Amino acid sequence: MKLYVPHVGHLEGLEDLLSGSDDIYAVYMAGSPDYIGTGRTNLSAPKLEEIAIQTEYAHDKGVKMEIILNSSCMGGQQLTPEGYRTIDWYFDKLNGIGIDSITVADPLFVEMLAKDYDMDVVVSVLSFVDSPQKAEFYEQLGATTIVIDPAVNRQFDKLESIRDAVSCDLKLLVNEACLYQCPFRYAHFNFFSHANGPGPKPNVLDDYYYFKCLSLRINDPQQLIKSPWIRPEDLKEYRHITDTFKIGGRTQFVNWILNAVDAYANESYEGNLMDLLDSIKDLKDHFFIPNSELSGAIEQWKRCDKVCHKCGYCKRLAEKIIRVYSQDEDGRCMVPLGSSGDRT
Amino acid sequence: MTITQDMLKARGALENKLRELLGIPVFLIEMDAFALPCGCGGITINTRGLQLDDLEVFEEHILKYFTETVTSLEIDPSFLFVRLIPGTSEIASINARMLCSNCYMDFARGSGKRPRPDIYILRFDSRE
Repeated sequence: MKLYVPHVGHLEGLEDLLSGSDDIYAVYMAGSPDYIGTGRTNLSAPKLEEIAIQTEYAHDKGVKMEIILNSSCMGGQQLTPEGYRTIDWYFDKLNGIGIDSITVADPLFVEMLAKDYDMDVVVSVLSFVDSPQKAEFYEQLGATTIVIDPAVNRQFDKLESIRDAVSCDLKLLVNEACLYQCPFRYAHFNFFSHANGPGPKPNVLDDYYYFKCLSLRINDPQQLIKSPWIRPEDLKEYRHITDTFKIGGRTQFVNWILNAVDAYANESYEGNLMDLLDSIKDLKDHFFIPNSELSGAIEQWKRCDKVCHKCGYCKRLAEKIIRVYSQDEDGRCMVPLGSSGDRT
Repeated sequence: MTITQDMLKARGALENKLRELLGIPVFLIEMDAFALPCGCGGITINTRGLQLDDLEVFEEHILKYFTETVTSLEIDPSFLFVRLIPGTSEIASINARMLCSNCYMDFARGSGKRPRPDIYILRFDSRE
């Protein structure tokens, strides 16, 4: 199994990360937002010299380095002569450093990288590859690897058709935990891309999309189950698709990342599944989802036709197993879903 | 005095000390007390005008002032840190956090001042 693991972005974090696990095949981090941003929040903005030092350190440890430049919107700057030259210059510098792979979302960058550089070209989840047709398109542009849109993580017919349609490598993001069919997905990633990219940066009041994302789950906890994460124990069900898995979590602590690496490397986790889910970390002290009680659910999802209002499996499962953290006279306790004021 | 009266007094006193120390118009725009579901509690002071360079030069003094502020609010000063705006030298907040056992492990793992690129630790008392 090849595990791609998030890295917070500074050398100290990389040293901690790589000293904590022997199961890491590659680490990934954002580059400098001065050239191409990324579609997610970052804790760092490493300069080229810092990337070079960290890449050398990772290579010394036998670990590959991937840079994430997966902005989903650059406002057209990439198509201007100045923008194109700047981006090409940055690619050239990263290539010179010895970066193993670059993850991008814009088809233009896939083609630029494939044509002129030695680095592997990885198509981001933010290219939303969810069909064999789209996969073929990116492969023809030069993709070395496609990270499949997690929205189809539980649609095995789609996954198998993508596998059959292309010969490039495939990668699955296991713990993003975004809402299934999230209505905010495009707007949110576009916002992040501007906030974490070359200016002008929006001076926002609040992240509306994130607040809505959390409140939707608090009001309707079945969304926590429907979200297309992959349990560590279920990786074996995906082996006929790929043996390459990506763990999300660039803004988490190293300790959190290592806990997730350990869970997915060992294909086992005892405890709260929320501990492993990246995008909803702010809810991990609100909900308890006993991972062991999800055993076997994959069999239902394998034959799921995604007509939730007729099926109701995830809703029933949520009501059965999810607990809510609360406080009583003795301190922290857990109460069943429904007795804590939720609106399901 | 009430909790908010104590906090109002503490905020203003710390702001004055920082301005006198650094000679620049540092603003402590908001002091918040927090209690998290995990069991952590403490205060966050949102700052404007404070830079990492200021901290690195005057760390000893700033740590002393902040420890006094925290102690005056009956908060254990065992974990004090600042949070940076990612990719910049701007300090977004100064924080005192009484860690729960789970969150303690997130910080106890590393040995340096920067467990994450956006965090600079002023004080961390290891537990037995």
